[in-house]
Amino acid sequence: MMNEMLMNLLYCLGQAVILLLLAPLVSGIVKKLKAFMQNRVGSSIFQEYFDIYKWWRKPTMLTPHTSIVFIAAPCVYFITTLAAASMLPNFIGGKVNFGDVFVFVYLFALGRFFMAISSMDAATAFGGMGGSREVYIAAFVEPVIMLGILSNMLHTGSTSIAGMVLNPNELNLTVAGVLTGIAFFLVLLAENGRIPVDNPDTHLELTMVHECMTLEYSGRLLSLIHWASQLKLLVFLLVFSMLYLPLNIPLVAKVLIGAAGVAVVETLNNKMRLFKVRIYLAAAGIMMLLAVVAR
Amino acid sequence: MEMFLAAVLCYGIGILTVFAPHHMQIMAHYVANVAAVLGSGLVFFNSWAIIAGDAPVKALRWGNYVLTCDNWSAVFLMITGLAGIIASIYALGYAESYEGKRLRILNGLWNMFIASMVLVLLAGDALSFLLFWEIMAVASFLLVNHEAEKRTTWNAAYQYLVMTSIGTAAIMIAFFLTCTHSDSFAFADMAANTLKGGWLHATFAAAFIGFALKAGLVPLHVWLPNAHPAAPSHVSALMSGVMLKIALYGFGRFMLDFLSEWNYWWAVIVMVVGLVSAFLGVLYAQMEVDIKRVLAYSSVENMGIIFAAFGCGMLLKVVTDSNWCQIGFLAALMHAFNHSIMKVLMFMSAGSIMHGTGSKNLELFGGLAKKMPYTALFTFVGAMGLAALPLTNGFVGEWMVLQGFITLAHNGLTQDVRLLTVLAFVLMGLTGALALGCFVRYFGITFLGAARSRIIEHAHESDVFMLTAMGISSVLVLLVGVFPAYVIELLCKAINMSDYMVLGVGGQLVWSGSGTFVTYNPIIIFGMLGVLGVAVLCFVVKQNVCIQKDVVWNCGTYPTARQQYSATGFSKPVRRAFDYLLKPKRERTFTQNDHSYFGRKLFYKLEIPDMISEKLYQPFNKYFVSASAFLRRLQQGSVRLYVSYVMVAMVIVLVWGAMYK
Repeated sequence: MMNEMLMNLLYCLGQAVILLLLAPLVSGIVKKLKAFMQNRVGSSIFQEYFDIYKWWRKPTMLTPHTSIVFIAAPCVYFITTLAAASMLPNFIGGKVNFGDVFVFVYLFALGRFFMAISSMDAATAFGGMGGSREVYIAAFVEPVIMLGILSNMLHTGSTSIAGMVLNPNELNLTVAGVLTGIAFFLVLLAENGRIPVDNPDTHLELTMVHECMTLEYSGRLLSLIHWASQLKLLVFLLVFSMLYLPLNIPLVAKVLIGAAGVAVVETLNNKMRLFKVRIYLAAAGIMMLLAVVAR
Repeated sequence: MEMFLAAVLCYGIGILTVFAPHHMQIMAHYVANVAAVLGSGLVFFNSWAIIAGDAPVKALRWGNYVLTCDNWSAVFLMITGLAGIIASIYALGYAESYEGKRLRILNGLWNMFIASMVLVLLAGDALSFLLFWEIMAVASFLLVNHEAEKRTTWNAAYQYLVMTSIGTAAIMIAFFLTCTHSDSFAFADMAANTLKGGWLHATFAAAFIGFALKAGLVPLHVWLPNAHPAAPSHVSALMSGVMLKIALYGFGRFMLDFLSEWNYWWAVIVMVVGLVSAFLGVLYAQMEVDIKRVLAYSSVENMGIIFAAFGCGMLLKVVTDSNWCQIGFLAALMHAFNHSIMKVLMFMSAGSIMHGTGSKNLELFGGLAKKMPYTALFTFVGAMGLAALPLTNGFVGEWMVLQGFITLAHNGLTQDVRLLTVLAFVLMGLTGALALGCFVRYFGITFLGAARSRIIEHAHESDVFMLTAMGISSVLVLLVGVFPAYVIELLCKAINMSDYMVLGVGGQLVWSGSGTFVTYNPIIIFGMLGVLGVAVLCFVVKQNVCIQKDVVWNCGTYPTARQQYSATGFSKPVRRAFDYLLKPKRERTFTQNDHSYFGRKLFYKLEIPDMISEKLYQPFNKYFVSASAFLRRLQQGSVRLYVSYVMVAMVIVLVWGAMYK
């Protein structure tokens, strides 16, 4: 019994590690697709691996004000994202159930809590700016996610992630299903700091959110943050493709469809003003609401 | 029951230390607080034994007065005992700073306050309940008013007194209605009352208003954010941690025992009022710059969540009439238990900060973690708990509340109920995320970054008693968070939860409210995060390239502490997003000298008045005062006038008597 559970847990962690190794590739593909659509050549799809390796080797700089929180935060962000990745329905065998979708959402909240707190540790204006904006956006993302969970629960009668994943042969082509899917995609963009909510490539203080929080990080800590963010994007893409793309094609293809969607949205849109984000998320919320009513 | 009497005796000794001579006041202080620790310890272990079924309960009778204890009150006695132990240990260190400021009275009242709360929970009839309820109100009023030299304290205390009297009046009406329909004051007989129709609704309304006022639900919360900051910190800890829960005890007593036939709308009202309180409470909490007001508003939020869960249980009972409803009550109890630990911890840490720095203004803090490392650590745990993050007990309660709403959505098949759950999920989501933001701000501004004012230079860590108390409660936050099953098992007994409901089996939480089983296994998550954390830390710490420290790059200028985000600035985006609710009042003036850009002085004043007190209470207050001014014309002070009043009254009585002979 105990052994079996440990084996299962190892499988889960193994899956998380595989996802972790693949995550930079997915981000690289999104970047490449974006470059292609913008008529640029762009960097190699493996560039993200090189970046992580580069930061991994560099020394870490701290400011005189930093405390232990500053070092702990990237680690916690990294391991909570890994733990969330291990909660996805397993594709390499093994089955263990240690939390439902609320736990999944709150694991990300744990990471966000640490990152937002660490943003104030370096005693600069930028950090607080990022933390404050992150918290503001999260306040509007969270209700939409909650409604999404409700909508899925009403459809599948479960709040466990495995229970919510549909059989690929059973097409979820109801109005409610489509609405939930679209709204979830909007949430995906907001949660992962993509255009139109945040721009992952910018370094201008007026526009950045996520980059603001991590501005004072360097070296190995920075590589942990970037890696975790890439993993987070992959995890969200996986959830999106498992829940809302019930096509009978391999999972890899579905993730690529999702990644292409991100690239298209990022190419066609500009980053919106910070205080318009709430309208954007309200639109997602209303779609979720309609979906719940239509279930 | 004898153990409870022994506990009350301990508190009695504590109260008697008021009469200690002046030169022995420090000794009296230790005696009083040790007595409070012992008494609370007796209460805690005895009530624990009662729930576990090890201690038989024999009701004590004295004429019509009954002291007894059932499982429902035992849970709250356990909460009171636990919080009492922790807060009294804290008081050993903290209250000593009141030496020369009526220390003996403070300690006497402290014992009286805990004793009255224990006795309210033990009361087995309406009269003794009301008696002890009033003693509790008066004791807490006097404690709030302890620093009466300050005008704000005085105002807050009297506001509290007026509000709590209104609450007691409502509760009296509720008891009166129930008692007259059962011809008895004993709770056991009142359960078999004959209330129906309009009287039933009236009783519910009176009980809900009375207890919601004590619990600080919107719109009856206005006393809470004033009274809690005014009291000494260990008192606010107990007021927030325990006294608010006693309102839940009373409300549960009415709902579960006295009013058996629930109306659909009652459940809806309780749930919606709870949800709105949760949301507005946390929204105001994020706007406050006074650390104790932040915590007070966070109490409004958490009491809101607790009542929302209770209302969810009621609604499940009304709509489905099945045992599913128990998740709501269980979630309410669990969150009440957890919140009492977390809020006691947070108020104690706020007390330590005030003790160490002499201020409670967030804008003056920053970088305190270096001066007060242990307080910082404990506050961090408490902040994580109140932000309901996994591995803390806050999340256990949150998870159960959310499962309650999921159960409601799955089993309440009408469109009305579904829309109510939509409201619940939206507001719970907002509340959760805003609470996270609120405590990020609370901890980050206070403990991290650079000092924003001079007071930080002289800050010092608290003494060993205060640290012990905070340490115990933060360990409890994590312990209950990782191993919640045992506590849940105890609480299941308190509401006589049916056996087939599997919640808290083998260390994990399992619930099937949505048709399939879902789990939350904190032990596995703890283990997993632990293993991963050690692995990652090994990589980071074993880094062969050294960690360098240098001043942060600041666009070519030297960074100063004033360039950091302030507490007000941090919550600006949220304030702007909820502008229409908060209606902040800004005042901006600057004195212009010769140059229009350099050397001018800016004054910026921001005030966020509480919407409810602004829009609801102040107009009422104004009307009340003007009506009183009008009535004053009757009182002219002349004896002849009063004689004529007497005569007019007599004539009216005579005429009336003659008409209805």
